[in-house]
Amino acid sequence: MRVVIAEDGALFREGLIRLLREAGHEVVGAVGDADALLQAVADSSPDLVVIDIRMPPTMTDDGVRAARELRVRHPALPIVLLSQHIETRHSVELVTSGGFGYLLKDRVLRVRDFVDALERVAAGGSALDPEVVRRLLAPTRHDDPVSSLTEREHEVLALVAEGHTNASIAAALVVSERTVETHMHSIFQKLRIPDAGGRHRRVVAVLAYMRSRSPASPDE
Amino acid sequence: MSVSVPHAGPPPRTPVVVATLAVATVAAATVVGLLLASSAARPLDPFEWALTTAVLLPSVVIGCLVTRRVPDSPVGPALCWVGAAPAAVAVVEAWGETLIGRHPWPGAEAVFVVKQGFWVWNLAGFVALCLVFPDGPLRVRPWRRLPLLAVGAALLLNAAVSLDPSSHLVDGVARAGHAIHLPAALRVTELVGAFGAILAVLAAISASLVVRYRRSGDVARLQLRWLLLSAGAVPALLALGWAAELWGAPAGVVYSAFMAVVLIAIPLSVAVAILRHDLYDVDRLLGASLAWMLTSLVAAALFAFTVYVVGEIASASSRVGVTGAAFVTALALLPLHRILHERVGGLVDRERTAILGRVDAFVARVRDGEAGPEEMVAELRAALADPGLQLLLRLPGTQQHYVDADGRPVVPSGADRIELRSGEVELGLLVLGLSSTRRLRLARTAVSRARLPIEVMRLQIELRRALEEVSSSRARLVAATTAERLRLERDLHDGAQRQIVVVGMRLRSLQARLGPDVAAHAELDFAVSELEATVAELRRLAHGIRPSQLEDGLAAALRTFVAGSPIPVELSVADVALSDLGSTTAYFVVAEGVTNALKHAAATRLSASVEQDEGRVVVAVRDDGVGGAKPAFGLTSLSDRVAAVGGELSVSSPPGGGTAIVAEFACES
Repeated sequence: MRVVIAEDGALFREGLIRLLREAGHEVVGAVGDADALLQAVADSSPDLVVIDIRMPPTMTDDGVRAARELRVRHPALPIVLLSQHIETRHSVELVTSGGFGYLLKDRVLRVRDFVDALERVAAGGSALDPEVVRRLLAPTRHDDPVSSLTEREHEVLALVAEGHTNASIAAALVVSERTVETHMHSIFQKLRIPDAGGRHRRVVAVLAYMRSRSPASPDE
Repeated sequence: MSVSVPHAGPPPRTPVVVATLAVATVAAATVVGLLLASSAARPLDPFEWALTTAVLLPSVVIGCLVTRRVPDSPVGPALCWVGAAPAAVAVVEAWGETLIGRHPWPGAEAVFVVKQGFWVWNLAGFVALCLVFPDGPLRVRPWRRLPLLAVGAALLLNAAVSLDPSSHLVDGVARAGHAIHLPAALRVTELVGAFGAILAVLAAISASLVVRYRRSGDVARLQLRWLLLSAGAVPALLALGWAAELWGAPAGVVYSAFMAVVLIAIPLSVAVAILRHDLYDVDRLLGASLAWMLTSLVAAALFAFTVYVVGEIASASSRVGVTGAAFVTALALLPLHRILHERVGGLVDRERTAILGRVDAFVARVRDGEAGPEEMVAELRAALADPGLQLLLRLPGTQQHYVDADGRPVVPSGADRIELRSGEVELGLLVLGLSSTRRLRLARTAVSRARLPIEVMRLQIELRRALEEVSSSRARLVAATTAERLRLERDLHDGAQRQIVVVGMRLRSLQARLGPDVAAHAELDFAVSELEATVAELRRLAHGIRPSQLEDGLAAALRTFVAGSPIPVELSVADVALSDLGSTTAYFVVAEGVTNALKHAAATRLSASVEQDEGRVVVAVRDDGVGGAKPAFGLTSLSDRVAAVGGELSVSSPPGGGTAIVAEFACES
């Protein structure tokens, strides 16, 4: 796939480019700030955009704003945001819109997982960093239904939230896809999430659920 | 329609005319005296005459001075006549005397008759003074006739005496033939009636003075008190004169001295009353004079009594009695005077007693801890009835300016000032809004009795400043440290983390190039996982400085935190706008407070709250555990954190009564 990278740290940017190339992908644009990004996307029409959240000029969340801008201009363009901190604020909201990923920068050290995540997003799915998922799934109340899940179910839920397909979940947990399905049913029942069917819809449902119990949600 | 323009008319003439007349009279008397020096039957000693005239002059001079300074007041002319009246009487008497002499003057016979009773008019000046002091005749209904009545009574007496046969005798021989012979009883009643009338008039004049006093304002009352002082001296001097005469002083000397003092001292004090009633504190004078007089009287009585008793009981020689009496009187004199002075002072100078009493009561309350010394200023203002009064202090070490009770620098500005000193050290200033001699004296006394609160105030201000200095310097220090730490976190986390990740990526790239069959592949895996662990560690470290959950806001971060607690924590977070430093501080207060409670308190219920109260944030962690928490229990670093944002941490932990940790700081810190 053809990728545009927006990252202001030169060394990290070079590293990313090399990593993607070695994975067999093409880097068609590598820029250092938000404005150049919009231009590059307009010029090269990539399959995926990878954006660092902290970029010039303000060095706060220019990457997020650029992502929203891109969403407006190119609604179908898959975007992956890279962050150095675990934030639930932007991540969850954007991920539910599909074709979106939010990963921590140190995730690149797990090359396989990283590339998988990128490819997932490029294919229209979602990718949420496991650290973020872990934070979101941390119990917020003592009667939290999440605590009623078994360990396996917890793992499955986390992987679903991360955006994995049933197949990759089965592969990761070394069980059959059927088992995975069973687990999913049980999860949805325990958490009282409507089972919408379809992989992405499931992810959305799970994420919506997680968002509703997220400490960062506005209505709590 | 005519418009009348008010214009200043010519200065009032009457008083000036009257005064001039008085001067003329005295001048005439002098001339007459010179003329009579040779031709009178009883030759006058020119020296004596000159002396007498000299004694009359001061009152005339003072009267003229007053007339000049206050042209429309009748007091000036009255004063002139105080001196001129005796001069007029002397002239008339001398004129009358010429009848007996070698060369009688024209009309001497008629004048001789008149002169017999003319001595009444000696006091004309004094009476006039009493009737018009201090601002003119009394215009109240029944008293309006008094001047006329006085003149009438004087005329009556003059006539009664003049026409009485006994006064026509000179050396036993009747000289003039104008006596009226009346039966004895009628004569007696006539004379008694005349004298009675005079006495009645004198009494009425005294009463009119009392009425005047009652109706007067403050200034006039003050002036009347001057008159009282000088009038009170008259009987005292009289008594002194009689006593001196008793002890053998020649009558002439005694009475001359008496007249001299009266004719000089009284006009002088009256002049002061009119021109500068503020010159001296008359109430104090009055009180002191009265006290001394009473002391002398009581001492004399004591003396006499002791002599009598010793004489009766011991029937010893009078020398023993007198010595004993002197001894006893001397012993009793001082304490007697002090008591009398206080009592009389309290009576006469009630205002002073009241003010000082008030100040003393306040000082006593300060000593008992019921009042704060900073209330001193309000007390002084109320006691001295001077709302513009300021108490300024000079702090040790600052020689340039003065500060008020709140420690703010003030530039002294007022009617007058009193320096407050303690030995060599200048404590401050008392600045008076309203000033007069009396006020100054009262203020000085009041302030010297209020030393204790003033000194305490000064020290309090100094202490407060020192504490503020210490506290702000501490806050600066800790704030600098914390800011430094935050910067470190950012640099450490962002920079270092990124670099480590880059290194990791390189290693991965290397690994991919080498291929999976090389032995180094596993090694490289290991190396990269080590790097991952380092990054995680860095993240945890950064969390200790500023938890990443705070990116989502304080409420969210706290909710996440308390969710991890084994005991339920009631959390309530208000919507307070805080800076980064502020939210970090609040987070750690709750985090460490809860952690502490979980470790030590053995509590069943925990609660944490973040609230706003008038520009300040209040963060509280409470538990119902065993209490007894001391600041050393891991809370020192927390109190430092709170101090860094200029706040305060308070721990309330009675044993067995649960613990409450409350931090308060300003929202903008």
